[in-house]
Amino acid sequence: MSWRVEIDRELCQGHAVCMDEAPEVFLVIERAGDYAQTSLLADPPPDEQRERVEAAVKHCPNRALKIVETP
Amino acid sequence: MNAASWPVVSGAKPGAGHYEEFTRHPARFLLRAYRECGEIAEFDLGGARHVLLSSPAAYEAVFRAPDDQLSASEPYRFMVPVFGEGIQFGAPLELERQQVKMQSNALRVDRMKGYAQVIAGEVEDWVARWEDAGERDFYDELKELVLRTSTHCLMGSDFRAKLTDEFGALYQDLEHAVSAASIVDPYGQDAAFARRDRARARLVDLISGVIHERRRSGAHSPDMLQSFMEAAYLDGRRLTDDEIVGMVIWIMFAGFHTSSNTATWTIVELARHPEHAARVVREIDSVYAPGGALAHTALRELPALERFVFEVLRIHPPLVTLMRLVKRDFDVLGRTIPAGAVIVASPYVAHRLPDVYADAERFDPERTFPENVFAYIPFGAGRRKCVGNAFALLQVKAIFTALLARHRFALVDPPESYQDEMPSLILRTSEPCRLRFERRTAAQR
Repeated sequence: MSWRVEIDRELCQGHAVCMDEAPEVFLVIERAGDYAQTSLLADPPPDEQRERVEAAVKHCPNRALKIVETP
Repeated sequence: MNAASWPVVSGAKPGAGHYEEFTRHPARFLLRAYRECGEIAEFDLGGARHVLLSSPAAYEAVFRAPDDQLSASEPYRFMVPVFGEGIQFGAPLELERQQVKMQSNALRVDRMKGYAQVIAGEVEDWVARWEDAGERDFYDELKELVLRTSTHCLMGSDFRAKLTDEFGALYQDLEHAVSAASIVDPYGQDAAFARRDRARARLVDLISGVIHERRRSGAHSPDMLQSFMEAAYLDGRRLTDDEIVGMVIWIMFAGFHTSSNTATWTIVELARHPEHAARVVREIDSVYAPGGALAHTALRELPALERFVFEVLRIHPPLVTLMRLVKRDFDVLGRTIPAGAVIVASPYVAHRLPDVYADAERFDPERTFPENVFAYIPFGAGRRKCVGNAFALLQVKAIFTALLARHRFALVDPPESYQDEMPSLILRTSEPCRLRFERRTAAQR
């Protein structure tokens, strides 16, 4: 059983809460003509980041993040 | 598919359509429209065709649709004379997107960490002028607290020091012009529009003064005003002073009446529901005491307060009409809404859908909220969701943490006399909004 993170780009507005919770996993980047949005520095993130990623998912003001368990 | 494939709300008058009933109380009209017609309900505002969509699936489709299919800027043209030409919907879409990004950059969490303490300090100063016990109008009290705390956090302490009673009155003049009449023609002959234009001109003078003074003194504070002064478009162009002023009016306006009305309804519901209020107060007492520090992280440890505010936003969402103009035919719920119609999604209706919320009219902060992000939409959803949503929640939670640690509140008038009212498009409490307050003693902690 492993896991990864999904970012819903139609919901993310780049508030950077995830980057604050898990700076080794998330990075908010600016893209031309668009909102700043979060991106993954490690995909899938290492297991030891799981707790921090869960906090990022929980505190995202736009609920744009999801943890998906993969077989 | 033609218009006959969904129902039209009853009661239209020749020429005006449903304008009169909508104007009287937009929230109640929209709820009636849903209850009479179901998930697609057509109505007419002075000749403009509006389609109210009411289901989480429809909200998802609307909030995920691209701007060139469902336009937010066109139905909100009435905000242009409030925020200014060249700002938000008064700017081309490309620039508007960059301006929203500047707003959301300025509201990033790293900037917000010190705000809880600033807000607690403002509350402390404000309540120092209250008697030990008495009666006040809390619509007025919370409007003032929201204005002071927003100004201090977002505009800095120099701006805050210059904040006078005049600002609140000017923002009030702007709010009164955001009415059903402004949806039809925001430039028409209307005393409220004339007051709006005078208020905006005066705000331009006041805010420009602060900008110039900051430039002259070279002062640098880590707030939103500063980030606008330093912001640049993608082509490297800096914001003009006029644009900075417009950005400030935009963010302050967007977050003023919405947050102050939420705060007012929160205090009324706390007074109406003493058992829930007791739970909220116990929780607050475990993280904060008057005069102590209020950390950003402490606000995260207040689930009862948070649920309470969520329930307030469910029952009393400050914005009840979220609109989009259909630019290209839009398929939703198995029908096609034709180009030219205005789609309306209403948080007030969304939060009362019987399939989503059991016993929806009952205020119950213990209720389970739906998992679906498109079923609970006090701030909208998707790419155009309110960028200030995290700040707004932080602000309301910090205000109540500081307030409830110091005082107890009780209703003055019968519980049912406190009602949702809509003198503008922003939902608020009825007047008067009187509560009794009493300073808590050490023995009550």
